[in-house]
Amino acid sequence: MVTFFLMAAFAVAGGILVVTARQPIHAALALVVTLLAVAVAYVTLDAHFLAAIQVIVYAGAVMVLFLFVIMLLNVERQSPTARWRWLRPSAYGFGLLALVAVAIVVVNQRQAGPTPTQVSEVLQGGSAERIGTVLFSDYLLAFHLVAVLLLTGIIGAVSLVQRAGRPDESAGPATVPAASEVETA
Amino acid sequence: MSAPTEYYVVLSAILFGLGAIGVITRRSAILVFLSVELMLNAANLAMVAYARHWSLTGGSHALQGQGAAFIVLAIAAAEVAVGLGILIAIFRNRVSTDVDELTEVRA
Repeated sequence: MVTFFLMAAFAVAGGILVVTARQPIHAALALVVTLLAVAVAYVTLDAHFLAAIQVIVYAGAVMVLFLFVIMLLNVERQSPTARWRWLRPSAYGFGLLALVAVAIVVVNQRQAGPTPTQVSEVLQGGSAERIGTVLFSDYLLAFHLVAVLLLTGIIGAVSLVQRAGRPDESAGPATVPAASEVETA
Repeated sequence: MSAPTEYYVVLSAILFGLGAIGVITRRSAILVFLSVELMLNAANLAMVAYARHWSLTGGSHALQGQGAAFIVLAIAAAEVAVGLGILIAIFRNRVSTDVDELTEVRA
């Protein structure tokens, strides 16, 4: 219980900073705090493998990518003024409304969950072996589609980021040494 | 004593609402992306929480929630790679990622 509330405090504080921080770097670092707090939540939910993946993939790889792009693009400080004055308060209002609605529904419909010992018998800590069994039986099609999607993502990212092919730059090997000379000079 | 499922779902709702507010109010496209990541994580948290809640009735399918969260995670990683690539391409053409100024699709 104490773990949950500590984790929830960190997660919500990080989330608020993500939404309100002026500097993009601060927002990204606050998101790292939230992601790590969610990883702690996974551990308390008997999803140990997902917790590890969350730390490695999300807090590691994805956030490094974000920080690189933020530094690369040199995003300037955000001006706090929104384009419409009513937009910001109404966004907060609707967010709060949705939150209260979800909380009312969830708390009204709550049922007693299983006890921790029963859970850890069934889930076995959400080990990689158990998740692999699910992925290769129930989610076999989705697993393959994700593989295709990742390949598409790699090709798409590379083809998007490379310079739009100007004919004089990609003419042939004759111009390549010149380009590298310019870079080293 | 671990926390009951409702607590996790309410926390997930809070995070999702914060992410939605960020998507609406943020102007830089990168920060919109960060908020989308927050929303994806909130959805994952709810799925894992319910995977634990229904683990006894699930039998051999008890870990389907965690498997779905795993797939969402993989899709989020691919989405970030492509999305940030698009952002860099946009930034090259026009030196801004303000979503208010990007009103045309043509390059």
